[in-house]
Amino acid sequence: MSDRYIPVQWNANKWLYDGVLLIACAAYILVFLRLGAPAADLTRPVDGAILRMRAFGSCAFFMLSVILCIGPLARLDRRFLPLLYNRRHFGVITALVALTHAVYVLNWYYAFSPTDPMVALLGANTSYGQILGFPFETLGIVALLILAVLAATSHDFWLSFLGPPLWKALHLLIYLAYGCVVAHVALGYLQDSKNPAFALLFGLSALAVAGLHLAAWAKAPRKSRGSGEWIAVAAPHEIADGRAKILPMPDGKRAAVFRDGDRIGALSNACAHQNGPLGEGRVIDGCVTCPWHGFQYRLEDGCSPPPFTEKVPTYNLRLRDGVIEIATKPNAPGTPATPLQIAEAAHV
Amino acid sequence: MSDREAPFFIGWAAMPPGLRWFMGGIALGLILFLAGIAYVTAATQDDPGQGAFVGRANATGILQAEPYPILHVTESADFALGSALLLTGGGKRGVQGRAAGLDGALVAVSGARIARGDIAALQLRGGEAGLKALEQAAITPPAVQDLGRWRISGEICDGKCYAGAMRPGRGLAHKACANLCLIGGIPPVLVATDKIDGTEFFLLAGPDGGPVTDQILDHVGLLIELEGQVQRHGGMAVLRLDPETLKVIP
Ligand code: FES
Repeated sequence: MSDRYIPVQWNANKWLYDGVLLIACAAYILVFLRLGAPAADLTRPVDGAILRMRAFGSCAFFMLSVILCIGPLARLDRRFLPLLYNRRHFGVITALVALTHAVYVLNWYYAFSPTDPMVALLGANTSYGQILGFPFETLGIVALLILAVLAATSHDFWLSFLGPPLWKALHLLIYLAYGCVVAHVALGYLQDSKNPAFALLFGLSALAVAGLHLAAWAKAPRKSRGSGEWIAVAAPHEIADGRAKILPMPDGKRAAVFRDGDRIGALSNACAHQNGPLGEGRVIDGCVTCPWHGFQYRLEDGCSPPPFTEKVPTYNLRLRDGVIEIATKPNAPGTPATPLQIAEAAHV
Repeated sequence: MSDREAPFFIGWAAMPPGLRWFMGGIALGLILFLAGIAYVTAATQDDPGQGAFVGRANATGILQAEPYPILHVTESADFALGSALLLTGGGKRGVQGRAAGLDGALVAVSGARIARGDIAALQLRGGEAGLKALEQAAITPPAVQDLGRWRISGEICDGKCYAGAMRPGRGLAHKACANLCLIGGIPPVLVATDKIDGTEFFLLAGPDGGPVTDQILDHVGLLIELEGQVQRHGGMAVLRLDPETLKVIP
Protein backbone atom coordinates (compact mmCIF):
# COMPACT_ATOMS: atom_id res chain seq x y z
CA MET A 1 0.00 0.00 0.00
CA SER A 2 1.55 3.28 0.93
CA ASP A 3 4.88 2.39 2.50
CA ARG A 4 6.88 2.82 -0.69
CA TYR A 5 6.39 3.11 -4.43
CA ILE A 6 7.73 0.51 -6.75
CA PRO A 7 6.82 0.62 -10.45
CA VAL A 8 3.95 -1.81 -10.07
CA GLN A 9 3.27 -3.96 -7.07
CA TRP A 10 2.72 -7.27 -8.74
CA ASN A 11 0.90 -10.17 -7.21
CA ALA A 12 -0.66 -13.36 -8.54
CA ASN A 13 -4.06 -11.78 -9.10
CA LYS A 14 -2.63 -8.92 -11.13
CA TRP A 15 -0.62 -11.31 -13.29
CA LEU A 16 -3.72 -13.33 -13.94
CA TYR A 17 -5.81 -10.25 -14.67
CA ASP A 18 -3.29 -8.81 -17.11
CA GLY A 19 -2.75 -12.21 -18.69
CA VAL A 20 -6.44 -12.58 -19.43
CA LEU A 21 -6.59 -9.03 -20.83
CA LEU A 22 -3.66 -9.58 -23.15
CA ILE A 23 -5.07 -12.88 -24.35
CA ALA A 24 -8.49 -11.30 -24.97
CA CYS A 25 -6.88 -8.41 -26.82
CA ALA A 26 -4.67 -10.69 -28.93
CA ALA A 27 -7.68 -12.91 -29.64
CA TYR A 28 -9.60 -9.89 -30.94
CA ILE A 29 -6.85 -8.74 -33.29
CA LEU A 30 -5.98 -12.23 -34.55
CA VAL A 31 -9.57 -13.28 -35.11
CA PHE A 32 -10.25 -9.98 -36.87
CA LEU A 33 -7.28 -10.20 -39.22
CA ARG A 34 -6.95 -13.95 -39.74
CA LEU A 35 -10.47 -15.32 -39.54
CA GLY A 36 -12.99 -12.51 -39.91
CA ALA A 37 -11.44 -10.46 -42.71
CA PRO A 38 -10.83 -13.44 -45.05
CA ALA A 39 -14.45 -14.48 -44.50
CA ALA A 40 -15.78 -11.14 -45.74
CA ASP A 41 -17.36 -11.16 -49.19
CA LEU A 42 -15.00 -8.83 -51.08
CA THR A 43 -14.01 -8.44 -54.72
CA ARG A 44 -10.48 -7.58 -53.64
CA PRO A 45 -9.08 -7.45 -50.10
CA VAL A 46 -9.15 -4.26 -48.06
CA ASP A 47 -5.68 -2.63 -47.75
CA GLY A 48 -3.65 -4.25 -44.97
CA ALA A 49 -3.10 -0.94 -43.19
CA ILE A 50 -6.81 -0.08 -43.30
CA LEU A 51 -7.68 -3.54 -42.03
CA ARG A 52 -5.32 -3.09 -39.10
CA MET A 53 -6.58 0.38 -38.25
CA ARG A 54 -10.09 -1.08 -38.20
CA ALA A 55 -9.00 -4.02 -36.06
CA PHE A 56 -7.18 -1.93 -33.45
CA GLY A 57 -9.71 0.90 -33.52
CA SER A 58 -12.73 -1.33 -32.96
CA CYS A 59 -10.82 -3.34 -30.36
CA ALA A 60 -10.06 -0.17 -28.38
CA PHE A 61 -13.71 0.88 -28.55
CA PHE A 62 -15.04 -2.45 -27.27
CA MET A 63 -12.38 -2.64 -24.55
CA LEU A 64 -13.23 0.85 -23.38
CA SER A 65 -16.90 -0.10 -23.28
CA VAL A 66 -16.09 -3.13 -21.13
CA ILE A 67 -13.97 -1.00 -18.78
CA LEU A 68 -16.79 1.46 -18.29
CA CYS A 69 -19.24 -1.36 -17.53
CA ILE A 70 -17.11 -2.70 -14.68
CA GLY A 71 -17.84 0.14 -12.24
CA PRO A 72 -21.65 -0.04 -12.36
CA LEU A 73 -21.60 -3.85 -12.60
CA ALA A 74 -19.64 -4.04 -9.36
CA ARG A 75 -22.18 -1.75 -7.69
CA LEU A 76 -25.07 -3.87 -8.90
CA ASP A 77 -23.50 -7.24 -8.17
CA ARG A 78 -20.63 -7.47 -5.72
CA ARG A 79 -19.17 -10.53 -7.40
CA PHE A 80 -17.82 -8.23 -10.11
CA LEU A 81 -15.72 -6.31 -7.60
CA PRO A 82 -12.47 -8.16 -8.38
CA LEU A 83 -12.63 -6.69 -11.89
CA LEU A 84 -12.21 -3.25 -10.39
CA TYR A 85 -9.06 -4.28 -8.62
CA ASN A 86 -6.77 -3.92 -11.58
CA ARG A 87 -8.93 -1.82 -13.86
CA ARG A 88 -6.07 0.60 -14.42
CA HIS A 89 -4.07 -2.01 -16.27
CA PHE A 90 -7.11 -2.56 -18.46
CA GLY A 91 -7.05 1.16 -19.20
CA VAL A 92 -3.35 1.22 -19.98
CA ILE A 93 -3.67 -1.71 -22.41
CA THR A 94 -6.64 -0.01 -24.08
CA ALA A 95 -4.65 3.21 -24.48
CA LEU A 96 -1.90 1.24 -26.21
CA VAL A 97 -4.39 -0.44 -28.55
CA ALA A 98 -5.87 2.97 -29.41
CA LEU A 99 -2.41 4.37 -30.01
CA THR A 100 -1.64 1.53 -32.43
CA HIS A 101 -4.83 2.40 -34.31
CA ALA A 102 -3.73 6.04 -34.54
CA VAL A 103 -0.27 5.12 -35.77
CA TYR A 104 -1.73 3.03 -38.60
CA VAL A 105 -4.02 5.90 -39.57
CA LEU A 106 -1.20 8.42 -39.52
CA ASN A 107 1.12 6.19 -41.53
CA TRP A 108 -1.46 5.44 -44.17
CA TYR A 109 -4.07 8.15 -44.67
CA TYR A 110 -1.65 10.95 -43.84
CA ALA A 111 1.48 9.53 -45.43
CA PHE A 112 2.72 9.68 -49.05
CA SER A 113 1.96 13.37 -49.18
CA PRO A 114 4.04 16.51 -49.63
CA THR A 115 2.33 17.81 -46.47
CA ASP A 116 3.80 16.86 -43.09
CA PRO A 117 1.59 14.13 -41.56
CA MET A 118 0.96 16.08 -38.35
CA VAL A 119 0.03 19.22 -40.26
CA ALA A 120 -2.16 17.13 -42.54
CA LEU A 121 -3.84 15.45 -39.59
CA LEU A 122 -5.12 18.80 -38.35
CA GLY A 123 -5.41 20.63 -41.65
CA ALA A 124 -6.60 18.22 -44.34
CA ASN A 125 -10.22 18.36 -43.27
CA THR A 126 -11.47 21.51 -41.61
CA SER A 127 -15.21 21.11 -42.13
CA TYR A 128 -15.97 21.81 -38.46
CA GLY A 129 -19.20 23.55 -39.39
CA GLN A 130 -20.99 20.44 -40.59
CA ILE A 131 -22.03 17.17 -38.98
CA LEU A 132 -21.58 14.93 -42.01
CA GLY A 133 -17.98 15.36 -43.02
CA PHE A 134 -16.98 16.71 -39.59
CA PRO A 135 -13.27 16.04 -38.98
CA PHE A 136 -14.02 13.12 -36.69
CA GLU A 137 -10.30 12.44 -36.42
CA THR A 138 -10.08 15.36 -33.99
CA LEU A 139 -12.49 13.61 -31.65
CA GLY A 140 -10.28 10.55 -31.78
CA ILE A 141 -7.23 12.65 -30.98
CA VAL A 142 -8.93 14.19 -27.94
CA ALA A 143 -9.91 10.73 -26.69
CA LEU A 144 -6.43 9.37 -27.28
CA LEU A 145 -4.83 12.27 -25.41
CA ILE A 146 -7.14 11.72 -22.46
CA LEU A 147 -6.40 7.99 -22.45
CA ALA A 148 -2.69 8.76 -22.57
CA VAL A 149 -2.88 11.18 -19.64
CA LEU A 150 -4.96 8.74 -17.62
CA ALA A 151 -2.60 5.87 -18.42
CA ALA A 152 0.41 7.99 -17.48
CA THR A 153 -1.15 9.06 -14.17
CA SER A 154 -2.63 5.68 -13.33
CA HIS A 155 0.17 4.80 -10.93
CA ASP A 156 -0.29 5.27 -7.18
CA PHE A 157 2.52 7.79 -7.22
CA TRP A 158 0.24 10.23 -9.04
CA LEU A 159 -2.62 9.31 -6.79
CA SER A 160 -0.74 10.44 -3.72
CA PHE A 161 0.91 13.33 -5.56
CA LEU A 162 -2.41 14.79 -6.73
CA GLY A 163 -4.49 13.56 -3.80
CA PRO A 164 -7.45 11.18 -4.21
CA PRO A 165 -10.18 13.78 -4.92
CA LEU A 166 -8.22 15.51 -7.69
CA TRP A 167 -6.98 12.19 -9.06
CA LYS A 168 -10.47 10.83 -9.16
CA ALA A 169 -11.82 13.98 -10.79
CA LEU A 170 -9.08 13.76 -13.41
CA HIS A 171 -9.90 10.14 -14.07
CA LEU A 172 -13.57 10.96 -14.56
CA LEU A 173 -12.36 12.40 -17.87
CA ILE A 174 -12.66 8.81 -19.09
CA TYR A 175 -16.33 9.60 -19.71
CA LEU A 176 -15.42 12.54 -21.92
CA ALA A 177 -13.01 10.25 -23.75
CA TYR A 178 -15.73 7.65 -24.25
CA GLY A 179 -18.13 10.29 -25.54
CA CYS A 180 -15.50 11.45 -28.02
CA VAL A 181 -14.83 7.88 -29.13
CA VAL A 182 -18.54 7.23 -29.68
CA ALA A 183 -18.82 10.41 -31.77
CA HIS A 184 -15.55 9.57 -33.57
CA VAL A 185 -16.94 6.22 -34.69
CA ALA A 186 -20.46 7.49 -35.35
CA LEU A 187 -19.27 10.32 -37.60
CA GLY A 188 -16.54 8.26 -39.24
CA TYR A 189 -16.62 4.56 -39.92
CA LEU A 190 -20.30 4.17 -39.16
CA GLN A 191 -21.21 6.63 -41.94
CA ASP A 192 -19.38 4.50 -44.48
CA SER A 193 -20.38 1.06 -43.46
CA LYS A 194 -23.46 -0.20 -45.23
CA ASN A 195 -23.54 -3.46 -43.32
CA PRO A 196 -25.58 -3.03 -40.12
CA ALA A 197 -23.67 -5.64 -38.06
CA PHE A 198 -21.03 -3.31 -36.70
CA ALA A 199 -23.54 -0.51 -36.17
CA LEU A 200 -25.58 -2.90 -34.06
CA LEU A 201 -22.62 -4.03 -31.94
CA PHE A 202 -21.52 -0.43 -31.57
CA GLY A 203 -24.96 0.78 -30.50
CA LEU A 204 -25.48 -2.09 -28.06
CA SER A 205 -22.11 -1.44 -26.42
CA ALA A 206 -22.78 2.25 -25.94
CA LEU A 207 -26.28 1.46 -24.64
CA ALA A 208 -24.90 -1.11 -22.20
CA VAL A 209 -22.50 1.47 -20.79
CA ALA A 210 -25.24 4.07 -20.43
CA GLY A 211 -27.84 1.61 -19.12
CA LEU A 212 -25.61 0.09 -16.46
CA HIS A 213 -24.63 3.52 -15.22
CA LEU A 214 -28.27 4.54 -14.96
CA ALA A 215 -29.13 1.32 -13.12
CA ALA A 216 -26.28 1.78 -10.63
CA TRP A 217 -27.20 5.42 -10.15
CA ALA A 218 -30.82 4.52 -9.46
CA LYS A 219 -29.67 2.06 -6.81
CA ALA A 220 -27.43 4.45 -4.89
CA PRO A 221 -28.86 6.25 -1.84
CA ARG A 222 -28.88 9.96 -2.51
CA LYS A 223 -31.06 11.93 -0.14
CA SER A 224 -29.92 12.62 3.39
CA ARG A 225 -32.57 11.79 5.95
CA GLY A 226 -31.98 14.65 8.33
CA SER A 227 -30.01 17.76 8.91
CA GLY A 228 -29.72 18.14 12.69
CA GLU A 229 -26.60 17.20 14.61
CA TRP A 230 -27.55 13.55 14.73
CA ILE A 231 -29.24 11.34 12.15
CA ALA A 232 -30.90 8.01 12.78
CA VAL A 233 -29.13 5.12 11.07
CA ALA A 234 -30.88 1.85 11.89
CA ALA A 235 -31.37 -0.63 14.67
CA PRO A 236 -28.07 -2.45 15.32
CA HIS A 237 -29.31 -5.82 14.07
CA GLU A 238 -30.38 -4.31 10.76
CA ILE A 239 -26.73 -4.06 9.79
CA ALA A 240 -25.34 -7.43 8.73
CA ASP A 241 -22.31 -8.64 10.62
CA GLY A 242 -19.08 -7.53 8.94
CA ARG A 243 -20.97 -5.23 6.60
CA ALA A 244 -21.99 -1.60 6.54
CA LYS A 245 -24.93 0.61 5.90
CA ILE A 246 -24.09 3.55 3.64
CA LEU A 247 -25.67 6.84 4.58
CA PRO A 248 -25.86 10.08 2.61
CA MET A 249 -24.90 12.94 4.93
CA PRO A 250 -26.21 16.50 4.85
CA ASP A 251 -22.83 17.79 3.60
CA GLY A 252 -23.18 15.66 0.46
CA LYS A 253 -20.58 13.11 1.55
CA ARG A 254 -21.37 9.57 2.62
CA ALA A 255 -20.75 7.71 5.84
CA ALA A 256 -20.46 3.95 6.25
CA VAL A 257 -21.70 2.45 9.52
CA PHE A 258 -20.13 -0.99 10.09
CA ARG A 259 -20.98 -3.82 12.42
CA ASP A 260 -18.18 -6.10 13.54
CA GLY A 261 -19.81 -8.62 15.87
CA ASP A 262 -20.97 -6.51 18.82
CA ARG A 263 -19.05 -3.39 17.86
CA ILE A 264 -20.51 -0.67 15.66
CA GLY A 265 -18.33 2.06 14.19
CA ALA A 266 -18.60 4.64 11.44
CA LEU A 267 -16.07 5.83 8.87
CA SER A 268 -16.25 8.04 5.83
CA ASN A 269 -17.40 5.99 2.86
CA ALA A 270 -14.54 7.26 0.69
CA CYS A 271 -11.34 5.24 0.75
CA ALA A 272 -8.16 7.30 1.08
CA HIS A 273 -6.69 5.39 -1.83
CA GLN A 274 -8.95 6.09 -4.81
CA ASN A 275 -12.18 7.08 -3.10
CA GLY A 276 -13.40 3.49 -3.33
CA PRO A 277 -16.72 2.78 -1.55
CA LEU A 278 -15.56 1.50 1.86
CA GLY A 279 -19.14 0.78 2.86
CA GLU A 280 -19.30 -1.87 0.16
CA GLY A 281 -16.33 -3.63 1.73
CA ARG A 282 -16.13 -5.91 4.77
CA VAL A 283 -14.73 -5.89 8.26
CA ILE A 284 -11.87 -8.37 8.31
CA ASP A 285 -9.88 -8.96 11.53
CA GLY A 286 -11.34 -5.81 13.02
CA CYS A 287 -10.39 -3.70 9.98
CA VAL A 288 -12.68 -2.22 7.38
CA THR A 289 -11.37 -3.54 4.05
CA CYS A 290 -11.92 -1.57 0.85
CA PRO A 291 -13.60 -3.57 -1.89
CA TRP A 292 -11.49 -2.00 -4.59
CA HIS A 293 -7.86 -2.67 -3.75
CA GLY A 294 -8.02 -4.00 -0.23
CA PHE A 295 -6.72 -1.02 1.79
CA GLN A 296 -7.67 -1.48 5.45
CA TYR A 297 -8.73 0.89 8.22
CA ARG A 298 -9.28 0.19 11.91
CA LEU A 299 -12.90 0.54 12.88
CA GLU A 300 -12.06 2.51 16.02
CA ASP A 301 -9.95 5.31 14.52
CA GLY A 302 -9.99 5.10 10.70
CA CYS A 303 -6.23 4.54 10.56
CA SER A 304 -4.57 1.86 8.44
CA PRO A 305 -2.73 -0.62 10.65
CA PRO A 306 1.05 -0.02 10.75
CA PRO A 307 3.23 0.19 8.74
CA PHE A 308 0.61 1.90 6.58
CA THR A 309 -0.33 5.50 7.16
CA GLU A 310 -3.65 6.12 5.36
CA LYS A 311 -6.41 7.74 7.40
CA VAL A 312 -10.07 8.35 6.77
CA PRO A 313 -12.51 10.50 8.81
CA THR A 314 -14.51 8.82 11.57
CA TYR A 315 -18.00 9.66 12.85
CA ASN A 316 -19.27 9.62 16.42
CA LEU A 317 -22.19 7.28 17.10
CA ARG A 318 -24.75 6.99 19.89
CA LEU A 319 -27.63 4.69 20.69
CA ARG A 320 -31.09 6.26 21.25
CA ASP A 321 -34.15 4.11 21.94
CA GLY A 322 -32.49 1.11 20.32
CA VAL A 323 -31.60 3.07 17.18
CA ILE A 324 -28.06 4.00 16.17
CA GLU A 325 -27.58 7.69 15.49
CA ILE A 326 -24.64 9.23 13.73
CA ALA A 327 -23.13 12.68 14.21
CA THR A 328 -23.58 14.74 11.05
CA LYS A 329 -20.12 16.25 11.36
CA PRO A 330 -17.21 13.92 10.62
CA ASN A 331 -14.11 13.86 12.81
CA ALA A 332 -10.76 14.70 11.27
CA PRO A 333 -9.19 11.69 9.52
CA GLY A 334 -7.70 9.24 12.00
CA THR A 335 -9.58 10.60 15.06
CA PRO A 336 -10.47 7.81 17.49
CA ALA A 337 -14.23 7.38 17.96
CA THR A 338 -15.07 4.59 20.36
CA PRO A 339 -17.29 2.02 18.67
CA LEU A 340 -20.70 1.35 20.23
CA GLN A 341 -20.98 -1.89 22.14
CA ILE A 342 -24.28 -3.58 21.48
CA ALA A 343 -25.85 -6.43 23.37
CA GLU A 344 -25.05 -9.95 22.18
CA ALA A 345 -28.78 -10.47 21.81
CA ALA A 346 -28.77 -8.15 18.86
CA HIS A 347 -26.84 -10.71 16.83
CA VAL A 348 -28.64 -12.54 14.08
CA MET B 1 -24.41 -18.73 3.92
CA SER B 2 -23.88 -16.16 6.64
CA ASP B 3 -22.67 -12.80 5.54
CA ARG B 4 -19.30 -13.34 7.16
CA GLU B 5 -18.67 -16.28 4.89
CA ALA B 6 -19.90 -14.81 1.61
CA PRO B 7 -16.87 -14.67 -0.69
CA PHE B 8 -15.07 -11.33 -0.60
CA PHE B 9 -12.15 -10.57 -2.83
CA ILE B 10 -9.12 -8.75 -1.53
CA GLY B 11 -6.54 -7.99 -4.19
CA TRP B 12 -3.54 -8.92 -2.09
CA ALA B 13 -5.02 -12.13 -0.72
CA ALA B 14 -5.85 -15.38 -2.47
CA MET B 15 -9.19 -15.38 -4.27
CA PRO B 16 -12.02 -17.14 -2.41
CA PRO B 17 -12.96 -20.41 -4.17
CA GLY B 18 -16.53 -19.41 -4.99
CA LEU B 19 -15.35 -16.27 -6.71
CA ARG B 20 -12.61 -18.15 -8.50
CA TRP B 21 -15.18 -19.96 -10.65
CA PHE B 22 -17.12 -16.79 -11.26
CA MET B 23 -13.99 -14.93 -12.32
CA GLY B 24 -12.86 -17.84 -14.47
CA GLY B 25 -16.20 -17.67 -16.24
CA ILE B 26 -15.85 -13.91 -16.73
CA ALA B 27 -12.32 -14.29 -18.10
CA LEU B 28 -13.40 -16.93 -20.56
CA GLY B 29 -16.51 -14.95 -21.41
CA LEU B 30 -14.48 -11.80 -22.09
CA ILE B 31 -12.10 -13.64 -24.42
CA LEU B 32 -14.93 -15.33 -26.32
CA PHE B 33 -16.97 -12.13 -26.43
CA LEU B 34 -14.11 -10.08 -27.89
CA ALA B 35 -13.19 -12.85 -30.35
CA GLY B 36 -16.83 -13.10 -31.42
CA ILE B 37 -17.33 -9.41 -32.09
CA ALA B 38 -13.96 -9.27 -33.83
CA TYR B 39 -15.16 -11.96 -36.21
CA VAL B 40 -18.48 -10.30 -36.89
CA THR B 41 -16.95 -6.83 -37.31
CA ALA B 42 -14.28 -8.09 -39.70
CA ALA B 43 -16.47 -10.44 -41.70
CA THR B 44 -19.14 -7.83 -42.41
CA GLN B 45 -16.85 -5.16 -43.87
CA ASP B 46 -18.07 -3.52 -47.03
CA ASP B 47 -16.59 -4.47 -50.37
CA PRO B 48 -14.04 -1.82 -51.41
CA GLY B 49 -14.65 -2.71 -55.05
CA GLN B 50 -12.39 -4.02 -57.75
CA GLY B 51 -10.08 -1.00 -58.16
CA ALA B 52 -6.37 -1.76 -57.85
CA PHE B 53 -2.88 -1.17 -59.17
CA VAL B 54 -2.66 -3.48 -62.15
CA GLY B 55 0.93 -3.36 -63.31
CA ARG B 56 2.99 -1.14 -65.59
CA ALA B 57 1.56 0.50 -68.68
CA ASN B 58 2.67 2.82 -71.47
CA ALA B 59 0.81 5.08 -73.83
CA THR B 60 1.24 7.85 -76.30
CA GLY B 61 -1.31 10.58 -76.55
CA ILE B 62 -2.32 14.20 -76.32
CA LEU B 63 -1.87 15.84 -72.96
CA GLN B 64 -4.59 18.11 -71.61
CA ALA B 65 -3.37 20.17 -68.67
CA GLU B 66 -6.64 21.77 -67.56
CA PRO B 67 -8.60 21.38 -65.36
CA TYR B 68 -6.26 18.58 -64.26
CA PRO B 69 -3.66 16.73 -66.30
CA ILE B 70 -5.16 13.93 -68.38
CA LEU B 71 -4.03 12.04 -71.44
CA HIS B 72 -6.08 11.29 -74.55
CA VAL B 73 -4.61 7.99 -75.76
CA THR B 74 -3.64 7.87 -79.45
CA GLU B 75 -1.46 4.81 -79.34
CA SER B 76 -1.02 2.13 -76.70
CA ALA B 77 -0.79 -1.59 -76.22
CA ASP B 78 -2.39 -1.21 -72.79
CA PHE B 79 -5.24 1.26 -73.25
CA ALA B 80 -8.02 1.59 -75.81
CA LEU B 81 -7.46 4.27 -78.43
CA GLY B 82 -9.47 7.36 -77.65
CA SER B 83 -9.72 6.54 -73.96
CA ALA B 84 -8.55 9.11 -71.44
CA LEU B 85 -6.32 8.63 -68.39
CA LEU B 86 -6.05 10.65 -65.19
CA LEU B 87 -2.37 11.43 -64.65
CA THR B 88 -0.89 11.48 -61.15
CA GLY B 89 2.50 11.55 -59.50
CA GLY B 90 3.70 9.27 -56.74
CA GLY B 91 1.75 9.24 -53.48
CA LYS B 92 -0.55 12.20 -52.99
CA ARG B 93 1.05 14.34 -55.68
CA GLY B 94 -0.35 15.67 -58.89
CA VAL B 95 1.71 16.26 -62.04
CA GLN B 96 0.63 19.83 -62.74
CA GLY B 97 4.25 21.00 -62.62
CA ARG B 98 5.42 18.41 -65.12
CA ALA B 99 2.45 18.93 -67.41
CA ALA B 100 2.78 22.70 -67.52
CA GLY B 101 3.78 23.85 -70.98
CA LEU B 102 2.77 20.53 -72.53
CA ASP B 103 -0.92 21.28 -72.95
CA GLY B 104 -2.00 19.99 -76.34
CA ALA B 105 1.36 18.34 -76.98
CA LEU B 106 1.90 14.77 -78.04
CA VAL B 107 3.59 12.93 -75.18
CA ALA B 108 4.71 9.46 -74.19
CA VAL B 109 3.76 8.36 -70.68
CA SER B 110 4.71 5.37 -68.61
CA GLY B 111 3.90 4.28 -65.09
CA ALA B 112 1.74 2.21 -62.78
CA ARG B 113 -1.77 1.63 -64.02
CA ILE B 114 -4.69 2.01 -61.61
CA ALA B 115 -8.02 0.78 -62.90
CA ARG B 116 -11.58 0.48 -61.68
CA GLY B 117 -14.33 -0.06 -64.22
CA ASP B 118 -14.38 2.82 -66.69
CA ILE B 119 -11.95 4.93 -64.71
CA ALA B 120 -8.26 4.61 -65.44
CA ALA B 121 -5.35 6.48 -63.94
CA LEU B 122 -1.65 6.32 -64.51
CA GLN B 123 0.88 7.06 -61.77
CA LEU B 124 3.77 8.41 -63.81
CA ARG B 125 7.34 7.29 -63.30
CA GLY B 126 9.88 9.95 -62.45
CA GLY B 127 11.47 12.22 -65.02
CA GLU B 128 11.46 11.66 -68.79
CA ALA B 129 10.80 7.96 -68.31
CA GLY B 130 7.36 8.88 -67.03
CA LEU B 131 6.43 11.84 -69.20
CA LYS B 132 8.20 12.96 -72.34
CA ALA B 133 7.14 15.34 -75.10
CA LEU B 134 7.32 13.85 -78.60
CA GLU B 135 8.17 15.71 -81.79
CA GLN B 136 5.13 15.81 -84.02
CA ALA B 137 3.81 18.27 -86.52
CA ALA B 138 0.12 19.11 -86.32
CA ILE B 139 -2.08 17.23 -83.87
CA THR B 140 -5.67 17.96 -83.14
CA PRO B 141 -6.92 17.60 -79.58
CA PRO B 142 -10.22 15.73 -79.32
CA ALA B 143 -13.31 17.82 -79.96
CA VAL B 144 -15.29 19.12 -77.02
CA GLN B 145 -18.94 18.15 -77.05
CA ASP B 146 -21.36 20.00 -74.81
CA LEU B 147 -24.06 17.93 -73.09
CA GLY B 148 -25.79 20.82 -71.36
CA ARG B 149 -26.47 21.70 -67.76
CA TRP B 150 -27.27 18.91 -65.31
CA ARG B 151 -28.14 18.44 -61.66
CA ILE B 152 -26.25 15.38 -60.48
CA SER B 153 -25.98 13.57 -57.15
CA GLY B 154 -22.98 11.51 -56.15
CA GLU B 155 -19.73 11.58 -54.24
CA ILE B 156 -16.63 13.64 -54.89
CA CYS B 157 -13.55 11.45 -54.62
CA ASP B 158 -9.90 11.83 -55.40
CA GLY B 159 -9.44 10.10 -58.71
CA LYS B 160 -6.40 8.14 -57.66
CA CYS B 161 -7.63 6.52 -54.44
CA TYR B 162 -11.05 5.89 -55.93
CA ALA B 163 -9.54 4.23 -59.00
CA GLY B 164 -7.89 1.75 -56.65
CA ALA B 165 -4.76 3.24 -55.11
CA MET B 166 -6.47 2.66 -51.76
CA ARG B 167 -9.07 0.06 -50.92
CA PRO B 168 -11.45 1.46 -49.87
CA GLY B 169 -10.62 4.83 -51.40
CA ARG B 170 -13.90 6.63 -50.91
CA GLY B 171 -16.35 7.50 -48.18
CA LEU B 172 -16.30 9.56 -45.03
CA ALA B 173 -13.69 7.60 -43.12
CA HIS B 174 -11.40 8.33 -46.05
CA LYS B 175 -12.37 12.01 -46.40
CA ALA B 176 -9.28 13.61 -44.86
CA CYS B 177 -7.07 11.33 -46.94
CA ALA B 178 -8.96 12.29 -50.09
CA ASN B 179 -8.72 15.98 -49.22
CA LEU B 180 -4.99 15.58 -48.78
CA CYS B 181 -4.72 13.96 -52.21
CA LEU B 182 -6.73 16.74 -53.80
CA ILE B 183 -4.66 19.42 -52.07
CA GLY B 184 -1.58 17.63 -53.42
CA GLY B 185 -2.93 18.00 -56.98
CA ILE B 186 -4.69 14.68 -57.63
CA PRO B 187 -7.67 15.18 -60.02
CA PRO B 188 -11.08 15.18 -58.27
CA VAL B 189 -13.84 13.07 -59.80
CA LEU B 190 -17.54 12.93 -59.22
CA VAL B 191 -18.83 9.38 -58.94
CA ALA B 192 -22.48 9.87 -59.89
CA THR B 193 -25.33 7.91 -58.36
CA ASP B 194 -27.01 7.60 -61.78
CA LYS B 195 -25.31 7.47 -65.14
CA ILE B 196 -25.59 10.45 -67.44
CA ASP B 197 -25.29 9.71 -71.12
CA GLY B 198 -23.75 6.36 -70.14
CA THR B 199 -21.14 7.90 -67.89
CA GLU B 200 -20.66 7.45 -64.17
CA PHE B 201 -17.39 9.36 -63.61
CA PHE B 202 -16.81 13.02 -64.21
CA LEU B 203 -13.59 14.90 -63.93
CA LEU B 204 -14.44 18.06 -62.02
CA ALA B 205 -13.61 21.55 -63.22
CA GLY B 206 -14.50 25.06 -62.17
CA PRO B 207 -17.05 27.13 -64.09
CA ASP B 208 -14.21 28.48 -66.24
CA GLY B 209 -12.81 25.03 -66.99
CA GLY B 210 -9.87 25.45 -64.58
CA PRO B 211 -9.11 23.57 -61.35
CA VAL B 212 -11.74 23.65 -58.61
CA THR B 213 -10.07 21.89 -55.66
CA ASP B 214 -10.36 24.72 -53.12
CA GLN B 215 -14.12 25.04 -53.49
CA ILE B 216 -15.01 21.40 -53.03
CA LEU B 217 -12.99 20.28 -49.98
CA ASP B 218 -15.93 20.54 -47.56
CA HIS B 219 -18.00 18.27 -49.79
CA VAL B 220 -15.57 15.45 -50.46
CA GLY B 221 -16.56 11.94 -49.40
CA LEU B 222 -20.22 12.79 -48.84
CA LEU B 223 -23.38 12.15 -50.76
CA ILE B 224 -23.87 15.52 -52.42
CA GLU B 225 -25.85 17.20 -55.13
CA LEU B 226 -24.50 19.75 -57.55
CA GLU B 227 -25.22 21.43 -60.85
CA GLY B 228 -22.96 22.09 -63.76
CA GLN B 229 -22.19 21.93 -67.42
CA VAL B 230 -21.33 18.44 -68.69
CA GLN B 231 -18.85 18.18 -71.55
CA ARG B 232 -17.11 15.37 -73.32
CA HIS B 233 -13.43 15.89 -73.97
CA GLY B 234 -12.74 12.84 -76.12
CA GLY B 235 -12.94 9.87 -73.77
CA MET B 236 -13.27 11.97 -70.61
CA ALA B 237 -16.49 13.43 -69.23
CA VAL B 238 -15.77 16.76 -67.59
CA LEU B 239 -18.20 18.49 -65.26
CA ARG B 240 -17.81 22.24 -64.97
CA LEU B 241 -19.50 22.54 -61.65
CA ASP B 242 -21.16 25.57 -60.23
CA PRO B 243 -19.73 25.65 -56.64
CA GLU B 244 -22.74 27.67 -55.42
CA THR B 245 -25.02 24.70 -56.06
CA LEU B 246 -23.02 22.19 -53.98
CA LYS B 247 -25.07 20.78 -51.16
CA VAL B 248 -24.94 17.80 -48.86
CA ILE B 249 -27.84 15.36 -49.19
CA PRO B 250 -28.82 14.48 -45.64
S1 FES C 1 -9.89 2.74 -3.46
FE1 FES C 1 -8.19 1.50 -3.72
S2 FES C 1 -8.20 0.43 -1.88
FE2 FES C 1 -9.83 1.70 -1.62
